[in-house]
Amino acid sequence: MTSHASAPLNTGAPWIVMKFGGTSVATLPRWQNIRELVASRRAEGARVLVVVSALTGITDALKQMCAQDDQGKRIEAAKAIAQRHYDLLDHMQLAVPDALGARLSELAKLAEQGPAVLGELAWSALVQAHGELMSSALGAAFLSHSGLPTQWLDARDCLAAIALPNQNERTKLLSAMVEAKPDPALNTRLAQLGEVFITQGFIAREAQGRTVLLGRGGSDTSASYFGALLKAQRVEIWTDVAGMFTANPRQVSGARLLQKLDYEEAQEIASTGAKVLHPRCLSPLREPRVPMLIKDTNRPELEGTVIGPEVREHAPSVKAISARKGLTLVSMESVGMWQQVGFLADVFAHFKQHGLSVDLIGSAETNVTVSLDPTENLLDSDAVAALASDLSKVCRVKVIAPCAAITLVGRGMRSMLHTLSGVLAEFGQLRVHLISQSSNNLNLTFVVDESVVDELVPRLHEMLIAAGALRTDDSALFGPSWQTLYGSGETVAADDAWWRSERRAQLLTLGAEATPRYVYHLPTVRKQARELKTLSAVDRLHYAVKANTHPAILRALAEEGFGFECVSPGELKAVMAVVPESAPLLFTPNFAPREDYAWALGTRATVSLDSLYPLEHWGDVFRGREIVLRVDLGRGLGHHEKVRTGGSGSKFGLPVDQLDTFLRLADAHHVTVRGLHAHLGSGILDDKHWGEVYNQLASLAERIGSVAFLDIGGGLGVPSHPGEARLDIAALEEVLRKVKSAYPHYQLWMEPGRYLVADAGVLLTRVTQQKGKGSWRYLGVDTGMNSLIRPALYDAWHEIVNLSRLDEPATALYQVVGPICESGDVIGSDRRLPEAQEGDVMLIAQAGAYGKVMSSPYNLRDEAQEIIIE
Amino acid sequence: MTNPIQPRLTQVFRFVRCSYANGVAELVYAFDQGEELIERVSFPAPPHLPPERKQAFDAALKLLHLFAGVSYYKAGIPPKIDIADGPLDDATADLLEALYLHGLAEFAYRNGLDLRGRIVFPRTSSSPSPLRGEGHALAQALALPKRTLVPIGGGKDSLVAVEAIKQTGGDATAVWVGNSPLIAACAQRTGLPTLNIQRELAPGLFELNRLGAWNGHIPVTAVNSAILALAAILYGYDSIAFANERSASAATLEYEGQQVNHQWSKGYAFERLLGDWLHTHVAADLDYCSLLRPYSELAITRAFARLTPYFDVFSSCNRNFKILGPKPADRWCGQCPKCHFVFLALAPFLPKPRLLAIFGRNLLDDDTQAAGFDALLEYHDHKPFECVGEGAEARAAMYALSQRPEWQEDALVARFRSEILPQLDATELALEPWLQPAGEHRVPARLQPALAAIG
Repeated sequence: MTSHASAPLNTGAPWIVMKFGGTSVATLPRWQNIRELVASRRAEGARVLVVVSALTGITDALKQMCAQDDQGKRIEAAKAIAQRHYDLLDHMQLAVPDALGARLSELAKLAEQGPAVLGELAWSALVQAHGELMSSALGAAFLSHSGLPTQWLDARDCLAAIALPNQNERTKLLSAMVEAKPDPALNTRLAQLGEVFITQGFIAREAQGRTVLLGRGGSDTSASYFGALLKAQRVEIWTDVAGMFTANPRQVSGARLLQKLDYEEAQEIASTGAKVLHPRCLSPLREPRVPMLIKDTNRPELEGTVIGPEVREHAPSVKAISARKGLTLVSMESVGMWQQVGFLADVFAHFKQHGLSVDLIGSAETNVTVSLDPTENLLDSDAVAALASDLSKVCRVKVIAPCAAITLVGRGMRSMLHTLSGVLAEFGQLRVHLISQSSNNLNLTFVVDESVVDELVPRLHEMLIAAGALRTDDSALFGPSWQTLYGSGETVAADDAWWRSERRAQLLTLGAEATPRYVYHLPTVRKQARELKTLSAVDRLHYAVKANTHPAILRALAEEGFGFECVSPGELKAVMAVVPESAPLLFTPNFAPREDYAWALGTRATVSLDSLYPLEHWGDVFRGREIVLRVDLGRGLGHHEKVRTGGSGSKFGLPVDQLDTFLRLADAHHVTVRGLHAHLGSGILDDKHWGEVYNQLASLAERIGSVAFLDIGGGLGVPSHPGEARLDIAALEEVLRKVKSAYPHYQLWMEPGRYLVADAGVLLTRVTQQKGKGSWRYLGVDTGMNSLIRPALYDAWHEIVNLSRLDEPATALYQVVGPICESGDVIGSDRRLPEAQEGDVMLIAQAGAYGKVMSSPYNLRDEAQEIIIE
Repeated sequence: MTNPIQPRLTQVFRFVRCSYANGVAELVYAFDQGEELIERVSFPAPPHLPPERKQAFDAALKLLHLFAGVSYYKAGIPPKIDIADGPLDDATADLLEALYLHGLAEFAYRNGLDLRGRIVFPRTSSSPSPLRGEGHALAQALALPKRTLVPIGGGKDSLVAVEAIKQTGGDATAVWVGNSPLIAACAQRTGLPTLNIQRELAPGLFELNRLGAWNGHIPVTAVNSAILALAAILYGYDSIAFANERSASAATLEYEGQQVNHQWSKGYAFERLLGDWLHTHVAADLDYCSLLRPYSELAITRAFARLTPYFDVFSSCNRNFKILGPKPADRWCGQCPKCHFVFLALAPFLPKPRLLAIFGRNLLDDDTQAAGFDALLEYHDHKPFECVGEGAEARAAMYALSQRPEWQEDALVARFRSEILPQLDATELALEPWLQPAGEHRVPARLQPALAAIG
């Protein structure tokens, strides 16, 4: 235990304000935790002011009591509330302290009295204030009793609410504002009273002496007010999460902890979606420059988020991406009106009149579009209809909903636009209704259809990192991912790759002999295959051979019992040449000519169709046969536009609205649809995705009697960036089993490709030379996009290491480039690597999939050899 | 393969036998001399059947056997129907022939079949049948408890019916057949006691489908009605109140002189046939009715628009997702006629942002949905084969939106204004007449206050 018997503090000792929320003050263990934390701050030589919320659930109980008209029921409610506090005191083995006893009898009196004497709002504010008054009285008793003398302070004596011109009685009493400026007199007065204090969040007093509430986020705001009044060394907000993250962790499990933010950035992130902090609680701290620290009560060892004055020593970076749903847009169009004085004022007067508050605004000469937040008034009244009716008298109105605002936050947003091209291209595929960029240069907001948001945000987060716009490589600003801190799934450990230690010497020898060389590690292929075989819901696995057609890999997977999915006669022939007769084959081409189908139907392969044309024009080819139908479920997923294979912008699959026509054609030619197949893209790391595809396919299959199996494709993601979570196979199994139990009469097939072979292969290449150009350093190697085109084609990120110098410090920043005469021949940009020498063996990881198979003789450079190691 | 039958070449469809024990009804069918197809219907926590209800129970079980056979019969449509325990009386044979002919009309149309004259149930005109429906004499009254089974489908209609009964203080149980999590969630939300009956199709049917059986729409409401009639006798309910509305009686199209109605077994003709048959063959005091019969789809959607607590759980989408997710897209596919119609019919009665929040998107501001809405409006196309309102109702709803500034500029509303509206007679587009109840109904006196509560 930290000693509380440290030397007395002098009057000039700094203050630390610590705020604890409702769950943190509801149980004895949590109070013991608070005691430890407070004692440690005291031991740092600071005076401590603890700000507490009411016990969890008490504020709601008080609110319900206020809404209760029946006096008897109010009295009952007050008794139940008192009992909660007695129970906690019981656990603490404390008698009811006098201060708390007084509060409880006052509450009982208020319950009995009802609102008549004080007036509805003032009475309600005073009743609700009791939650904090009671919890703080209880806390003072506990802390003092456990050897940390603690003074109870009435927050209302310190925080004076100010009257604002636009306030009505309700906002005056229930969401008051306090002007908190450093107050040396208060500081001195408290310093004479003691060293540790406890007070209430959420409450203040107004000029007439009535108790008022600070509204939503009130307790955090109280802590900030006190931080400003006392010009504290810092304000600590203790909550259930380590701080603010680069995205909502519920949407993006790879969201990273933000370790440093300035006030404006933090306020912007809080305003645009983050729930951990109410945006209003930062402004009191800004002028006195008091930093705020957000900490996790359960994990105090974690760094947390520090919010303070702007610092200029970091490179500009996007800090966070957030999404707000449920927006309604009102687009107003008119020609020749905008020159008219007062037009906009008139328009906005209508919004005010119908009680609708405008948030974002975008304008052109002939159009103004504004967004409305989802309020009850908007959803349940005719406000929008009435507004549109009024507006339609002066302009053309269009009401667009439901929309979502996706906001990128970061200081100096405009200077980062060039890094956002990939992100902007992503928006290019969507209906963007409005773009807004404020003059404070902190944000960039896109308003899009709400339905795309859940998939879009995680993808954008990933793209921002890949594009170097969200600089997660700066460890001063960005902490661990949420997944690492709180998730259950394992994350990729950087050191477990087979090539890093186990086979390094062998690879160095291979690299010294000749480069470029692809090296495939068969044990890794088998390991991945066996992992997928643990998916017991899956009845049949096919290896999508286009990822890598090396005979040794095909043989290894045949031994593991895999079937094979081929997209051309060439692939089918290659597979049939090495795998046994018993291995199932699938022929899944796209825009294949008639001869390909005719030929494939002569093999043992199951053939799939994905358009009407073959049955419309070559029906006789398929007569009497069983086929698989590949459908397009109308949306695509994946890490890059070119690897997305669903949605109207993709050439794959039969659109669902043509299904009936297809079935009629099939019937006419006596073709039986035996399986349904959908494949939405690759590199998908979200386990729920396949459950959705499976569910959608099954609901379609129920309309087709002949279907016996559903093929949900592949696209199982392989994480490439350090810190990215692996696909959780156990979670995937659970998702699939759930759907399977709903549709037990369908067999389930999958077609993994890259997942089986990516990690098993590396590309070895040697350093040929270096070049400096301005501040840029190019590291030349002996092969490039001719051997591995993924970085150029998909912006794919491959880990690159200097295998010869794996243990040397990574001090240089290189652009790793190949010898091909194309400016796109960059294998990796901005890579931290050891200083390299000509002849060093470089290793490009995760090259087992779509490496050799996509290589080309471009520039007529020698092709990479392929080596198999057991 | 265990069943080498070619379903489309079979000669006889046989009702082999049916039985009930320990809450499970077994319904057995076969084609020709093929393997038995055994369907099981399971009733949870089955009470002991009072002896005085035994005869009624047997009659209801027999009815269920005959009705549920339609799922299997349609796999082969053989020329002959055989009933192992003997021919039916006239009333029963008439009911069955009507159900199989009209209930399979869409199936026949889709598959290019003509079933007229093909569906003949064995009947005896003079000798007594196992179901002795002597003329129109009523069956015995059983003093069934005064409470109602209300089938829940997860869509708006049954929820409107439930709320009407709740509002008038009626004693009711929310009942559904099968394991749909969506329906379970809706049933939960009603706050009523619930009854979930399971129906397990014969696995052999899937096999027949794989062997090339005929496939298509069956009158599933009829099968469910028979299940509920049996449940009413078993558990003791005096009424079964469906939520089938007025337009369910309207034919979808006419094909070679035959009316084809996708929802024939939700129509009034079927309600009357079955209701009378239950009175004469099962129990004089078991009422079968639809509580929404006098109301149009629009009147019902207006009533539903007041039932906010259901907005985030209900769905009428015919994709019938078996796994529920939190997003609107997990309940509404946004592409089927049901999604189109419910969206359009609710639109005049809900604030626009609220409606769009239910569906998660604006179907009327999406050009690619034009053909779907055209079909509802009966513009360029016939009415879709779905349980959706009449074309005139859809046109009235669309017309109402076209007069509202917050909707006018949406792609399909604007298209309606410029392209379709000029071809219509504006005097026939008013919404109000649709909101008035009209026409016949069979709601028993005890439930009539609920009927009135809807309007």
